[in-house]
Amino acid sequence: MRTLFAFRKRLPRRTEITLGVIGFALFLAAWQVTAMSGAIRPEFLPTPGAVAQAFVLLFTERDFAGDIAISVGRVWFAFFLSVIIAVPLGLYMSTYRAVGAFFEPFIDFIRYLPVPALVPLLVIWFGVGEASKIAVLWMGTFFQLVLLIAEDNKRVPSEYIESGHTLGATNGQIMRHIIIPAALPNMVDNLRITMGWCWTYLIVAEIVAANSGIGHVIWSLRRFVKTPEVMAGIITIGIIGLLTDQAFRFAHARLFGYLRR
Amino acid sequence: MQDFLQFKDISKTFWSDDGKVETPVITPMSLSIAEGEIVMFLGPSGCGKTTLMRIAGGLETQDTGQVILAGEALHGPDRRRGMVFQSYSSFPWLTVRNNIKFGTRYRKDISAAEKDEITDRYMTMVGLARYADFYTNRISGGMRQRVAIARTLASSPDVLLMDEPFGALDAQTREYLQFQLMDINRREKKTTIFVTHDVEEAILLASRIVIFSSRPARIVEEIDVNALLSPQDRRDGNADTQVFFDLRADILKIIREEYSHMLEET
Repeated sequence: MRTLFAFRKRLPRRTEITLGVIGFALFLAAWQVTAMSGAIRPEFLPTPGAVAQAFVLLFTERDFAGDIAISVGRVWFAFFLSVIIAVPLGLYMSTYRAVGAFFEPFIDFIRYLPVPALVPLLVIWFGVGEASKIAVLWMGTFFQLVLLIAEDNKRVPSEYIESGHTLGATNGQIMRHIIIPAALPNMVDNLRITMGWCWTYLIVAEIVAANSGIGHVIWSLRRFVKTPEVMAGIITIGIIGLLTDQAFRFAHARLFGYLRR
Repeated sequence: MQDFLQFKDISKTFWSDDGKVETPVITPMSLSIAEGEIVMFLGPSGCGKTTLMRIAGGLETQDTGQVILAGEALHGPDRRRGMVFQSYSSFPWLTVRNNIKFGTRYRKDISAAEKDEITDRYMTMVGLARYADFYTNRISGGMRQRVAIARTLASSPDVLLMDEPFGALDAQTREYLQFQLMDINRREKKTTIFVTHDVEEAILLASRIVIFSSRPARIVEEIDVNALLSPQDRRDGNADTQVFFDLRADILKIIREEYSHMLEET
């Protein structure tokens, strides 16, 4: 037990996985017990078994795989749009003070606006098609990501940059050969985090005039109080998020193995 | 060349962020360094010796005066003045070999094969050939500083600027690196400016010691160490210990006096 709670010490991988599985199993058990106790009506809290059954039905009785593919496509496309603008802008904002001073107050202002409140405006601007859904997801991630990238750049030790100067590198070479490789591990970590945020905005993006996607499925089944199906839809987002997160972590570990001590 | 590197009437003042408080760091001062000389900057903490070195490296801009290298006034940093920092500046995403090779990356005067040869030569010179494929966060602090020194030498600077490069190391590693640096200097004959707080390190490595006053920095003493202790004797550990200890005592006395001036002023 003492080794299990060693202060700021790593645990063997197998122990970490076992603990994660136990935590998940305990949650499911508590859910099952609560649902079976009758304390909460099944329309509000179905059993895990009923949700699993609903999960199967979603795939067999309606084209849920297609909805998943559409949602994944929307999230990745919006995220990609955020990344290709936020990464260079964030790097420039923290490299050239004038660019930072110009953009930061505006980005900070937008960043604090609640994205759901912007949905009506985005629908007026972009209509009820794909564009408004992508815009919602983009708004939810871009303004956060750009500041995180700028911060990653700022954290590159000045000695690295000054070393580059005294080794004869130009500003562009320092950016390509020193700043980006130095900041990349943190940048990939921040991409992982903002990707998670992108998924949290999916429901917001897909409840307005949508006829496809996981968010649309959840929202339309809600009207018929199909709680097991709604929960299955939510859990699907959780599973996709978990898999995406693990993929990012795996890529991080493979790409930046040198960070391991 | 007697006036290989010259500081001419250099002065520098730092201002607080609100622009209201000025802190003069260097009063107008001049200094000439001959080619191949190893000049140690000594002085009270915060006196401005690192600022002067950074001005030499083009990493800080002076308010007045000029830095002249081989007759040419310098503006901004370039490969002619290589710098080794106190904190570890080797790149963690590169192996020891690739860190050292990075020093040759922007050299247009040599071929790819020569770059490899130079990398191997300096890696061997600093005793890291066995660790060529190790990433730098898997090696000790002393080794990382050796990587930084080798990388800087690989870039073939005219002047080597060393800002307390052994300051964060333990006594044994420090001594080992001091001897290794003496060995490198004997072979390379690089013009070097070395900032240190360690008087013994200064005597051991210097051709000349320049002692600065408390802030704002001005030169209070210049000591031609080579005239008192031969470099060969120091390297071989045969230096006259009495001369060594007398010199150490004299330098410490000057620095203590400067410290007390600084304390009186604050």
